[in-house]
Amino acid sequence: VPADFHDFALQAHEELERELVDGEYFDIAAIEELGTVSAALVVERLARLPGTAEIALSMLVSARSSTSNCHGRLALVENGRPGRFVAQCNTLLVIEGDAVGIAHPAPADVTAVESLFAYPMGRLIGTPSVQWLSPEEAGNVRTWLRVACAAEIAGLMQAAIDSTVAHLSIRKQFGRPLGTFQALRHRMAECAVLAGGVRWLALKAAWTGDAGDAALAALHAQDSATRVIYDVHQMMGAMGMTLEMSLHLWTYRMKALLSELGGRRRAGEGRRRLLFPVGRHSCRHVPFPTLLSP
Amino acid sequence: MNFAWNSDQVAFRALVRDFLEANLPDNWENIAHGPGSEAQSIFSKQFCGALANAGLLVPHWPASWGGRDADPWTAFILAEEMWAAGEPRGGQYMNVNWIGPDADALRQRASSRRATSRRWRAARRCGARGFPSRKPVQTSPRCAPALTSTVRITCINGQKIWTSYAGLADTCFLLARTSPGKGGISIFLLPMDTAGITVRQIPSIIGEGDIHEVFFDDVTVPGRCDARRGRAGLGNRSHGTVSGACGHSAFCTGVKNVAPRGGSAQERRVGLVTGRGAGAVEQSARAHAACEVARLYSYNIIDQRCQGQPPGPEASAARVATVNAERLVNEFVVEHLPEALAGGDALLLAHHQRAIVAGIASGAAEIQLNLIATELLQLPREPR
Repeated sequence: VPADFHDFALQAHEELERELVDGEYFDIAAIEELGTVSAALVVERLARLPGTAEIALSMLVSARSSTSNCHGRLALVENGRPGRFVAQCNTLLVIEGDAVGIAHPAPADVTAVESLFAYPMGRLIGTPSVQWLSPEEAGNVRTWLRVACAAEIAGLMQAAIDSTVAHLSIRKQFGRPLGTFQALRHRMAECAVLAGGVRWLALKAAWTGDAGDAALAALHAQDSATRVIYDVHQMMGAMGMTLEMSLHLWTYRMKALLSELGGRRRAGEGRRRLLFPVGRHSCRHVPFPTLLSP
Repeated sequence: MNFAWNSDQVAFRALVRDFLEANLPDNWENIAHGPGSEAQSIFSKQFCGALANAGLLVPHWPASWGGRDADPWTAFILAEEMWAAGEPRGGQYMNVNWIGPDADALRQRASSRRATSRRWRAARRCGARGFPSRKPVQTSPRCAPALTSTVRITCINGQKIWTSYAGLADTCFLLARTSPGKGGISIFLLPMDTAGITVRQIPSIIGEGDIHEVFFDDVTVPGRCDARRGRAGLGNRSHGTVSGACGHSAFCTGVKNVAPRGGSAQERRVGLVTGRGAGAVEQSARAHAACEVARLYSYNIIDQRCQGQPPGPEASAARVATVNAERLVNEFVVEHLPEALAGGDALLLAHHQRAIVAGIASGAAEIQLNLIATELLQLPREPR
């Protein structure tokens, strides 16, 4: 971790991005033998790093968008709010209510803003032309935004848990490691179960590409992150409040994702289409598990 | 990574559903008061016989035991569908899901022959295992366990609280201490009509016929009782795995019952849920997500089992995920469909009664949390 941790938190990791480009990692989802599940796995693993770059949207949303000009490094501007990588990207996904559009901003159209979120944040200040997508394509973009969100949160959550476990294993109080106290062990175990669940739902959604699966994954990711962020900071104690510890890198990145696409409420509404169809007896007429959904 | 079912699995699930369609009576929802209830137990006798005739009772058991050596996915699909239907096998699910396979693991061939012969009569067993009793079940001091893996015990004393389905059981799957130390637990398959066994049903909020206290007063072990010594570790880990599967199926019932769909009764439910606003939608979505998480955790365990891998700490995570799912579904029902628990919906009531005990039955979830902390997270152990 660089000594200048404050700048580090705010800047995109150019070397990481360059290596990913050179290694053709951004093309994983489009490669038949690898596909979107592999891309989601890569997003999840890279999110665990202390350094960051615009990875998730490029790997999953660009690759699955049928819009020809949805390419390059992407950023999301939702209802005029500041967003991650907005000042660095060359393509903006613009969301206004239910509408989704694509814009390619000029340098003067965007500006960096300072924030607690451990991503480089920016705001759209200009009025670049926006190509509004059809409702169908807008839905497709939303689906993959949610898959990306869930995959990224899964990795961030796991990194936060790993960091906290390391602390609990070596930090002693009352003569023994903190990690031996059951009150903390149980909470960490519950966090681990949540993190594993987020990962499973993200991977399944990446596999099916289904809007309902994606909504369910995003909902569980955002819901679980809320709980895990609190718990890991509590267990890290005052150390977790310092910028010398890296915990804030993952927890504040998760916080940046909590409000994406309307947060938990909208994700909850988005999963409706997963629900079960008609039956005389509820116990008999249910579909095969949604794993079979195309 | 492949989340798809293969064609055999799809066909098997369809077969099970067709069977349910053909064999559940129209008034099934009035019978399904829970696996241990008298009405459901009576029904389960004929239902399990029909299942056996269709080759659907124990397909995952060895062919020599009456099964067809089907893989763990088959057993899991069967369990999913049965629980989603309200578990018409009654307490018999426990026998086919874990008592039989555990007995198989312990190579109790003699008991398996009896199990096979009784199976056709839908025999039941209770499971006296898991929780320590106030007065642990022990073999009498005058009994001398053999040094071989097969135990020769003549007398058992003690009591076991929290014994599932003991009231109607024919055979008891009993864990008793036969010698000191970690390997000193033996498993007995003990006929419940053995003199000295007393069963007391414990009234509970989880339903009738579920939990009992069983007393063993100078029980002379009959010559036909089978016993196997050691393997105390059979307990939490394998139990967690199997219970994860069982519980997983239980939450299917829950999520399907809270999910909007058509049909007369279900339409009324939809109206109730949607009429209660966005809060209900979001809360049901949370419950649904938790169910999907538990489902995928469980599928991962089954996949590991198919590959011959021993149960790992992921099984404990699956169990905790299942408890979370059961809890969230229950909380949703209590808040948004309270009338279901007051005479409005027998199946939801039955699910509720199973789910409220999800964190305790099959072993306390806190034990699984300890296992996760130590084995999955690799946190330092607590001092002992």
